Amino acid sequence: MVALAAAVGREEGDAHDDRPVGVRAEPMILFGVLVGMGGLAAVVPVITRWLGRDTGYVLAAGFLALIGVLTPAVATVPDQDVIEAELPWLPIFGVTATVRLDGLSAVFVLLVLGVGALIMAYCPRYLSVGRHTRTYVLLTLFAAAMLGLVLAADLVLLFVFWELTTIASFFLIGGSGAHSARAATRALVITFGGGLALLAAVVLIIVETGTSYLPDILAQPELILDSPMIWPVGLLLVLAAFTKSAQLPFHAWLPGAMVAITPVSAYLHAATMVKAGIYLLMRFTPVYGGQVAWQAGLLIIGLATAIFGAALALRQHDLKALLAYSTVSQLGLLVAVTGVGTPHALTAAVAHTVAHALYKATLFMLVGIIDREAGSRDVRELSGLRRVMPVTAFLTALAALSMAGVPPMIGFVSKESLFQGLGEADVTSWAGPVAAGAGVAASILTFAYSVRIFRGAFAGPLMQRQLYEPHWQFLAPAAVPAVAGLVLGPGVAVLNPLTISAVLDMAPGVVVPPLVFWHGLSPELFLSAFTIAAGLLLFTVRGRMDRLLQAAPSTPEGMLFDRGFAGAHRLAGWLTRPGDARTPVSHLTGPVVGLVGLAVGALVAADRLPTPAPGTSRALDWPVLVLLVVATIGAALARRVLLALILLGLVGITVSAWFALAGAPDVALTLLLVEVLTAVAAVLAVRVMPDRFPAVPRRRSVVTAGLATVLGLVAAGGTLAFTGHRDRSRAGTYFLQFAEEETGGHNVVNTLLVGFRALDTLGETTVLGVAALGLVLLLRETARRDLPGDDPIVPGPPRQVSNRAVFQVTYRVLAPAMLTLSVYLFFRGHYAPGGGFIAALVAGIAVTFGWIAHGRVGGRVPIIRSLRAAPLVGGGLVLCLLVGLSASLRGEPFLTPTYTYLAGLPVSTSTLFDLGVYLVVLGLVVAVVDRLGGLGPAVAHRFTRPVEPANAGGAP
Amino acid sequence: MSTAIAVGVLVAAGTYLILQRGLVRIAFGFILLGHAVNLVLVASGGLQRRGAPFIGQRPTDEMADPLPQAFVLTAIVITFGITVYLLALARASVGSTEEQADEPSTGPATAPPADDAPPAAPGGNPGRDDRPPRGGAA
Amino acid sequence: MSSALVPALLALPLAIPLLAGAVLVLLPARLRWTSRVLAMVATGMVLAVGVVLVATTRDGGAVGQRVGDWPAGIAIMLAADQFSALLVTVTAVLVLGGLLFAFATGDDARRMFTPLVLVLSAGVYGAYLTGDLFNLFVFIEVMLVPSYVLVVLSGARRRLSAGGVYLTVSLLTSTMFLAGLGLIYGLAGTVNLGELAGAASRSDALAVATGVLLVAMGIKAAVVPVHTWLPRVYREVTPAVVVLFSGLLTKVGVYVIFRLYAVMYDGDPRWRWLLLTVALVTLLVGAATSLGDRSIRGVLLYSMVSHIGFMLVGVGLFTEAGLTAGVFYLLQYVLVKAALLMCAGAVQTTYGTDRLDRLGGLVSREPLLATTFMVGALSLIGIPPLAGFVGKLALARGAFGDGQWWTGGLVVAGSLLTLLAMVHVWNQAFWGHDGELTWAEVEEGGTVSVTKIRRTLLAPAVGLASGGLVLGVAAQPVLALAGVAAGNLLDPAGYVTAVMPR
Repeated sequence: MVALAAAVGREEGDAHDDRPVGVRAEPMILFGVLVGMGGLAAVVPVITRWLGRDTGYVLAAGFLALIGVLTPAVATVPDQDVIEAELPWLPIFGVTATVRLDGLSAVFVLLVLGVGALIMAYCPRYLSVGRHTRTYVLLTLFAAAMLGLVLAADLVLLFVFWELTTIASFFLIGGSGAHSARAATRALVITFGGGLALLAAVVLIIVETGTSYLPDILAQPELILDSPMIWPVGLLLVLAAFTKSAQLPFHAWLPGAMVAITPVSAYLHAATMVKAGIYLLMRFTPVYGGQVAWQAGLLIIGLATAIFGAALALRQHDLKALLAYSTVSQLGLLVAVTGVGTPHALTAAVAHTVAHALYKATLFMLVGIIDREAGSRDVRELSGLRRVMPVTAFLTALAALSMAGVPPMIGFVSKESLFQGLGEADVTSWAGPVAAGAGVAASILTFAYSVRIFRGAFAGPLMQRQLYEPHWQFLAPAAVPAVAGLVLGPGVAVLNPLTISAVLDMAPGVVVPPLVFWHGLSPELFLSAFTIAAGLLLFTVRGRMDRLLQAAPSTPEGMLFDRGFAGAHRLAGWLTRPGDARTPVSHLTGPVVGLVGLAVGALVAADRLPTPAPGTSRALDWPVLVLLVVATIGAALARRVLLALILLGLVGITVSAWFALAGAPDVALTLLLVEVLTAVAAVLAVRVMPDRFPAVPRRRSVVTAGLATVLGLVAAGGTLAFTGHRDRSRAGTYFLQFAEEETGGHNVVNTLLVGFRALDTLGETTVLGVAALGLVLLLRETARRDLPGDDPIVPGPPRQVSNRAVFQVTYRVLAPAMLTLSVYLFFRGHYAPGGGFIAALVAGIAVTFGWIAHGRVGGRVPIIRSLRAAPLVGGGLVLCLLVGLSASLRGEPFLTPTYTYLAGLPVSTSTLFDLGVYLVVLGLVVAVVDRLGGLGPAVAHRFTRPVEPANAGGAP
Repeated sequence: MSTAIAVGVLVAAGTYLILQRGLVRIAFGFILLGHAVNLVLVASGGLQRRGAPFIGQRPTDEMADPLPQAFVLTAIVITFGITVYLLALARASVGSTEEQADEPSTGPATAPPADDAPPAAPGGNPGRDDRPPRGGAA
Repeated sequence: MSSALVPALLALPLAIPLLAGAVLVLLPARLRWTSRVLAMVATGMVLAVGVVLVATTRDGGAVGQRVGDWPAGIAIMLAADQFSALLVTVTAVLVLGGLLFAFATGDDARRMFTPLVLVLSAGVYGAYLTGDLFNLFVFIEVMLVPSYVLVVLSGARRRLSAGGVYLTVSLLTSTMFLAGLGLIYGLAGTVNLGELAGAASRSDALAVATGVLLVAMGIKAAVVPVHTWLPRVYREVTPAVVVLFSGLLTKVGVYVIFRLYAVMYDGDPRWRWLLLTVALVTLLVGAATSLGDRSIRGVLLYSMVSHIGFMLVGVGLFTEAGLTAGVFYLLQYVLVKAALLMCAGAVQTTYGTDRLDRLGGLVSREPLLATTFMVGALSLIGIPPLAGFVGKLALARGAFGDGQWWTGGLVVAGSLLTLLAMVHVWNQAFWGHDGELTWAEVEEGGTVSVTKIRRTLLAPAVGLASGGLVLGVAAQPVLALAGVAAGNLLDPAGYVTAVMPR
């Protein structure tokens, strides 16, 4: 299951990786850490139950513990050892869940866990009293996802965690207050869009290189560089990185995200998540680092973002917003210097990533403290806090100095190495100086706004005297990184082992310059000095500077985005309209038009016009045809409902005659009977409606007629082209030859219905049964509605009928006869036209007649009187199915016919099956007559009882 | 040839009717379309041979293909069932305003506020909140 | 399971529910629990059969049964390969969930509800299992007619007019299907899928005739631009009914398109561009439209249209990877979408509406509901590690792997639209401030303000959603099965011999 020695095995097998390898630390520890994170998240709800907001301390301890667990692993990294573990996941894609700890990962792992611990320790005093389970769970889950992201050695796995960070960020931003949702959405949509770019890139890479195992891909850049997909992939990767790391023009979401609570801003949107983009760029440096286009793109966008962000930061009054823009700017510097890709540049990138995380997290936490204590983050409302909060002031000063790049802070070291790195840009001859210059410009602004932060909050006269220094527990989490920033300046050397191995992961086999605190009188030193001087100058003229910046035209952040968002919704709203159209015609036109288009296209594609097959027409056809045409057109154009009905019946009769001519007597007979019943149903249905159809607007009827004609022509052509051009089908011939000996029946069609294709008949019977039930249910509902008020239905026969007595007498005579006929037809069906269906229809007509005579099912004929729809349908179906399943019980296929003995007589199961059909059909007829038939008295008296009767079948 | 013409006319008329307002006409349209399809089905067996398929009445090679006839029978019956149900639906929705109204409603936003909630408690009388607005009928 | 016995099982998925349904029709309405138990047992048996079929056809083979024991080529064939077997199984699972949900909403208090659902499901199983085109038509009708009744079951006027739309559109598709059938028989003289194997790729005329069938199924599957009936109708039916419809009706259309294109067209490359275009248009338009609707269900319905597109991309690609993706997407989608619709239904049932402008703050009020909906929505969007992500990844891989850059790109981009729609719902109904749905107002309507969604109402959704979660984290086994099904479609030989035993 688990490939413990994966590291060894893989590395040895891998010709492209020339690193010495040894697995000292236990590889599975990496999964252990991830699982541990998940475990922490899982137990949070339990802890919050009894610790409330103090849960943060437990989590902080947990994070530190995990660092401790990882230390042995991390310790091996400087020796260029790699620890790797894999679990099977989606072998079908060749994707495994592989995690791997190398130098670059180690840096980010420590960042995630370290800063995480601080934030977690900060939460308890920042959050209000309460449980905050959601926040803690989400924060822990985010940390887990972030860990996974930097540990993943498989592209798909990396993408998975990438998305998870996005989602966690969404819920962390949006969870806080009413207005947060929109900011959260903006952040989500932009970063998710980038995520999709990453997905596309990942899939393309897998397709091109045939693997998703990151180290292999990085070890063989040519796999991508030589493929046609080199630039699509590169572009998509950059897109993903830029959205995540808020580079122009995708920066809009980051300032908005500041609505989230401070711990979230500090952790996700300053220290870690926004660095995921940088991490991605660093990861792919081995592949793209050498490409000029890559370098140029990263440099230009990065530096532009750096200056733009810094300038905007300088004009903010809200300290948190200021920090947000400063983050944008610093990320820009990181992107640019990563793009340069020389050893110095990459070292600078790593160093600055660490430095930035340290001071930016500190500043966020401190601003949060100020906010909590003074109740505001606006420099225009804050003043002189240094008198009441000296410690806070001191810590802020430390962090701000580090950000400004003033010695001896670590910010100073990283800033100098940044200048050095940018100076090495060699896209063109003049690129270096320009880049360095831009870097300096950004740094000058950085210095200015660093001062602005401190001065804004702490300088000047004290206005809020009641304030006091916050509790040490509140300050401590911020103090640690602030002091660390101070110590790590002179002591930067301690970072070297990690940074060096990290850089080696980005640029294998280069000589990596160590980080040093003092370069001597290097050009960078002068740049730093110049930066500080210029920054101070800028500070002295801050008044004019402010006016200048405030005057500068500005678009509210993300306005473009919001416009697009609203636009999309408007468009969508418009798209929903067709789906709201009420009448059937609005939904039928589409299909009809589509069909016409398709058919016409097909006929055009066919090179020749269809020709009639010889001998398919007989002389007798034509008179029938004429009648048919006349009746049909008449039925279509008739305005009076009754006329239309009559013509429709005429059409039915002619069609049935046509079937008789075509040698299908069963069909003809059935159709005839069906026509009768359909007519009855139609009459019953329309008698409560206006006796004229609504008029049709002229233009519309013309269009409709046009469509109809075209479709008619197409249909005719299709019939010509597709029918009658071949001999009788194999199956058809078989039936004619063997039907008798297989089934003993002479009426082949009937043997098909109850024998060869009994399954079709079973389905057909089910349909009829359900239709019957539907009728009963539907009209019971309406019946209930048609109670006093809406159009009352006179129980009894339709208006057209008169002279009841005659009917009643004839019915008394006729009914028994028809029933007998029906029985006869049923049994002879096997040998001549007839069978269950036809027989049932005959009986049904008797029922109908009885209704006409008596205004209710049955009249005075006992058998018919006792008929109910539901039992007939249910019983019939059960019979059919039992016949079918009895075969299965005998171990034969479904519906295999056999003989059974009823009362000593041999009875074919087919006959029983046919009987089932008979019952269901009768059930339908009863339902039609009983329900459509003006809901006889029996139903009427049910209205008084709203309770559902057990029997839906009709009259009790 | 004759079949093709018949089919063409029936399809044209049927299509014309189903594109009208009012369920009754639509139902009539589908009856016509049903006839057309049945004609196609029987024709698909080849109309050169038109002997009724009863064993022993005539030489088999004159007999029509019985399979399409079986198809048609099944189709007729199914169409019958559905048509009757459609007519019942037309009957049931007499007077319901949507029946005539053709202009699309202005979107789900303006869906009837009395958004229906089926019987919440099992055992509760189902039809309860589905009772339609009174006076909707013609 | 000896393979000799398995074919005998093929008829059970359609026979058992039909029998159970018929018996329920005879039972008096007051035996509510009896009918519930009977329905669950019947469906449970189908599920068991489905699992057996999946297990039997795992090797890529297929089993067939000559109904009525008539000779080959004469008898109607029931047959199952991995593709059919998987669909039968997932359908049974959905029906079980749907029934439980219906019991919770009280839909089954309506007369004949349970038997109608059983018959409907029988029609679906039949459609998945038959190897005979005309019999397929019949089973589609067996599926449709109960749905006609279920649509208008409550008799509310709005439902009647929706029923009119639904009935007429379906009638049109059925008529088209039958006409296409006639043309096919007229040309080929058979409706047995085995005998018709590859016919549409050999003869252009048959390709056109079969095209009519595909168009009809396209309408059934609600592809753009003939999709408008679906939101119009599904918006009106009761929550339980829409859950069942979403998993059963449109999916049969998708199944038939997959099956016919594989067997009759042999995946003919000449028409793939057409399929792909339709699929992509459906995908994009559906997703874009879903932003515009203003009820939870409405949004889900339009996204249903869009996801039909996602599935059809699979058959449009017609590569091993593409089909695997399509099949897997279909399987996971059925469960996830049902879970989401159940959430919407639970809200509607409990609070009387699911309109976004009247809801808000459900996150705090209904944490379990919120979590379930969130999982479902994330899966729908395709966020890892949920099932939808694996489906999306597979589709993208299939498209890019086949050099279909546009398709791949649009598939990926499409999920951004889905995200927008889901976020829209989330922000409005789940975040937002509780003010929007003024609980007071509800209170006067009923005693709702104290009511919360009942556990029984949510349980099925939770079950299906966690199914989506499992399918994502441990996708491999199901993906493998989907791969087998894709093999069946790429090379239908096994299926063909099962349908047409020599």
